Amino acid sequence: MPIWNRILATVDEHDSSLQAVRYLAGVLGGSDACRVRIMTVYQAPEADAHPAKEQRADAAAQRKELLLDRLEEARQILVGARIPAYNVSTSLQEAGGRTIAETIMAVQRQEGFGTIVVGRRGLSKSEEFLFGSVSNSIVHQSTDCAVWVIS
Amino acid sequence: MREAPELLERARELTGRRLKKVRLITDTSEFMNLETGDVLELEGRRYVLKGTEYEGRFGLDEQPKYWVKRALDWEDGSAKIIKLVFFEEFDMALGEITVRCYRSPAKEARILTLVQGNPNFMQGVTLLDTAGNQVRVLERIRGGPLDQHLQELSCCHQEYFERHLRRVLTKLSVAIEAIGWLHTQGERHGDVRRDHLFVDKDSGAWSWIDFDYNFEFKQNPYGLDLFGLGNVLTYAVARRDVTYHRVREEFPQAAEGLRPNDFSPVIKNRLMNLKKIYPYLPESLNNVLLHFSSGAGVFYERVDELMAELTPAIAELPQGEET
Repeated sequence: MPIWNRILATVDEHDSSLQAVRYLAGVLGGSDACRVRIMTVYQAPEADAHPAKEQRADAAAQRKELLLDRLEEARQILVGARIPAYNVSTSLQEAGGRTIAETIMAVQRQEGFGTIVVGRRGLSKSEEFLFGSVSNSIVHQSTDCAVWVIS
Repeated sequence: MREAPELLERARELTGRRLKKVRLITDTSEFMNLETGDVLELEGRRYVLKGTEYEGRFGLDEQPKYWVKRALDWEDGSAKIIKLVFFEEFDMALGEITVRCYRSPAKEARILTLVQGNPNFMQGVTLLDTAGNQVRVLERIRGGPLDQHLQELSCCHQEYFERHLRRVLTKLSVAIEAIGWLHTQGERHGDVRRDHLFVDKDSGAWSWIDFDYNFEFKQNPYGLDLFGLGNVLTYAVARRDVTYHRVREEFPQAAEGLRPNDFSPVIKNRLMNLKKIYPYLPESLNNVLLHFSSGAGVFYERVDELMAELTPAIAELPQGEET
């Protein structure tokens, strides 16, 4: 059974994903009532794209570093808004062949988060067609939790 | 590489050319240096080269693909296509969007193994040269691409709709399901186009070719394949690409009623709402096409979603001819 004040906030490599975290900080700032997990999904570079092992390892390290920086930025935004640090945690999840939305939804279900907060980048119709939209997929897949989509 | 005069007679016999020399090649890394008459030796099997393959894209000038060779099997003389290892990374323009693509011999080798014996895909084996390059030796398909096959049906569109479309889409749906099966195996085709679907004149099978393109995805791993399937399907229904320009020329009255939502979200002058020019198309089939248009509220993300609507739509088409 999801617990509504357990919030799963997602960020990615784009600056715009922090907008959703800033919104959350604005809503929850100063409150001790919610626990927030800031989560990002790491997709390992594909071996086909980086056939050389060293090149692949470099690409993986760069990608992870960027995401870890983003998690820390997001954490500081929430703590800076007087949400107690003990209520804010961060996590980098490996996609392991799943899509980003599938990975987020798996964590939500396993750990009973009652609310998901996700940013929306304002994709064009053609980008959404070709690449899919994480926020749309989450909205379609979620059945037992609230989803806040922040544009 | 070494000169191999002992191979000269057989190479001449196979190629039918007056070759002056033959070289035996065991390392294909420098594929630009390969010449007609060279004999490749890969894991104990030999192939004599006949020339370089060319590829045209939808009527554009044909370009040589130096890493793809026409060849003959040394033992039985059967025709082969040999794809040598060539890595490239490039931006593919799809309308206003640029997609970073790359060519992956390893991916194609993997899929060749996966589809062994499956007539919906080209067949071949991967052999290693002495430098460890994954050389793909492919069976040549006797026949041509889908567009060529459909153009051979010389009749007006309404007659095509009444006599042939049901059969064409039934065959195409097998090919579409084959791409869906590939997805369930965790693989993407990567370059679904109508000229990458070959119609085998001997067996009648429709087979996908060329699996070496790939791209990194974020959310929807199969979006590009679905986009390609939508284009192939729309082409098969219209038996051509229908652009705004074409509608204005051939259906001036219909052109006035067209809206941006009737076109592809990616290739913005390509009409997907074909019922506006072919009013006899059933709603059910046109609704499938509309899922690939700018007006779609929800796009197909999986082949099974597409097939769930395409299969009943095909059943509504005129019975037409069996062959």
